[in-house]
Amino acid sequence: MDTNIVEIINVTREVAWLPWAVQYFFLIGLSVGGVLLSLPGYAFANDEWRKLGRVGLLVALTCGLAAPVALLSDLHQPGRFWHFYAVFRPTSWMWWGSLIIPFYVTGLLVYAWTCFREELQEHGRVDSHLATLYRLAALGGGRDDRLIRYAGLVVLAGAVLVALYTGAEVAVVKARPLWHTPFLPVQFLTTALVGAAGLVLILNRFAADHDLAVEARANRLLAGFLGAVMAVGGLWLAFGLFGIDRTHTEALEGVANSEAWRVTAVWAVLATVAPFVIAVAKPVGTGLLTGLIAVHSAWMFRWTVFIGGQTVPKTGAGFYEYALPAGPDGLLGIIGTAGLWLFLLLVITAVLPTPARSAPRPVRAAHAADRTMAAAE
Amino acid sequence: MDQSRRNFCRGIGAATVGAATLAATPGEAAAGPRKGGDAAHRWAMVVDVRKCVGCQACTVACIMENDVPENSFRTIVSTYEVTEQGKTGSYMLPRLCNHCEDAPCIPVCPTGATYQRKDGIVVVDNTVCVGCAYCVQACPYDARFINHETQTADKCTFCVHRVDAGLLPACVETCVGGARIFGDLKDPDSTVSRLVREQDPKVLKPEQGTQPRVFYIGLDPKFQGKVDGTPTLWRPSAQPHVEAHVEKEHA
Ligand code: SF4
Ligand code: SF4
Repeated sequence: MDTNIVEIINVTREVAWLPWAVQYFFLIGLSVGGVLLSLPGYAFANDEWRKLGRVGLLVALTCGLAAPVALLSDLHQPGRFWHFYAVFRPTSWMWWGSLIIPFYVTGLLVYAWTCFREELQEHGRVDSHLATLYRLAALGGGRDDRLIRYAGLVVLAGAVLVALYTGAEVAVVKARPLWHTPFLPVQFLTTALVGAAGLVLILNRFAADHDLAVEARANRLLAGFLGAVMAVGGLWLAFGLFGIDRTHTEALEGVANSEAWRVTAVWAVLATVAPFVIAVAKPVGTGLLTGLIAVHSAWMFRWTVFIGGQTVPKTGAGFYEYALPAGPDGLLGIIGTAGLWLFLLLVITAVLPTPARSAPRPVRAAHAADRTMAAAE
Repeated sequence: MDQSRRNFCRGIGAATVGAATLAATPGEAAAGPRKGGDAAHRWAMVVDVRKCVGCQACTVACIMENDVPENSFRTIVSTYEVTEQGKTGSYMLPRLCNHCEDAPCIPVCPTGATYQRKDGIVVVDNTVCVGCAYCVQACPYDARFINHETQTADKCTFCVHRVDAGLLPACVETCVGGARIFGDLKDPDSTVSRLVREQDPKVLKPEQGTQPRVFYIGLDPKFQGKVDGTPTLWRPSAQPHVEAHVEKEHA
């Protein structure tokens, strides 16, 4: 039957999870990715992974500390955040999140301290005014692989919980077919790993000593993560296209006819395939390019899921329009979180500049003539 | 006095008589305990869309009664132009919170601000709500929004303050065509109970499993879920020179 429906009057619901939420999920995801990338080098004391791990740790720390600020700002009543802690609401993934975040961030800080302790100790040995502070911060110790491993396992548990809750929180929302898929938590995780590897590549250039071995390794990892993203994305698409599951079909049908969504889809595929090809073909010398595309692609994924997802009406026809506001609920919020992240990066790298030596240690150990270096070994 | 109002007054008197037509047992497992209100009632609405003339009197009455901020709506009459086999007509669908029996907006709330009263009315305690908008996402009917004057979640309450005082919701009181009928499902003699029993009314998005307690008589299946059509043409706030914050939410 040929029916044509035109909506004459209906309500437009504005986006209620703001760009702050995009920033939060982006930053916390990258932080989790950074932790995972740091574990082989630190918690499992694999020296070949140590340098990459250090950059991963920078990613984890800077993003992990900035993320909760973005989350708090997404509440319309941020001053009431303590209400989360005055109740027992186990049915709400967000409530679980309010417990998991402090656990994760505390674990991350302790883990980072155990990892950086060796460096703090070295700085404490240099003859400078700040040496006392560094010695204090090192708590009179140095590298302790056992301690690092314990802290690493705790933060790993935190990271797993964060990945679980952030994914589940969104995936349980049955009212939005685009979100209501078991693939979503996996997609969040794989794109977070892509973003983290991307940021490692960027920071390796600007906040570390541009080690080519780190670049090559990070690029290979990135290619692997991108491969996983493509695989999961392909599965999601297959579920929708071949009608394997109704929610997926509904989700696909909801957006398939939209020009804007088609452009987004092509863009997403390009932002996945292009860095994949580059990283595989030329893992050295391309890190900045692949890194930037990867970080952008991880962010885009979240923007599309959250802001794009909320422009799909639940009952009305077509789409709600979204225009990025200039103020704190829009552009200013995005720039603000980016600024906070940069500030944290500057502070951390100022306090803990990249050590002059580089792994693998035996190569440089020969040059380690001065007292500090020798002591570190 | 229209049918719905007359029945309501009778319903109050005859409350607690007999068993409910519909199971009104609280789905407490997921949603937490129900509090407040009188468990002797289960308030519900039946909307006879055949009688709705699309005048939006309910929309306006609700705004006045509940001090709903500009560009936000607790209820609205969605209006569609439908062309079928060369003939064109209008279709009106009053929308509001369904005060679902198994309301997905409740379990997600991390603070317990959203809860269900014993009489089935789903409310938000806006002194507790942190404005996280999780409930806004979870409602399958786009019934909720963030009120930017209180910065908390907001939605239709069946005019709970009026119901508690023995009055009808403002939208029912004002309905010109008598399309909105309000009453107690636990009273087998109420008009809503009778209509639910006899007219086999439909609910919106039944597949979501929310068990709405707003029923529709004459609901065209094409409008039961997400409407497949050309989106709204009426965008009063999209005019030039309108401030950005107003532009974000328009009707
Ligand atoms: S209609 Fe939406 S807001 Fe109302 S009770 Fe149902 S899920 Fe909750
Ligand atoms: S916005 Fe308020 S009522 Fe809604 S889920 Fe958050 S705290 Fe609960």
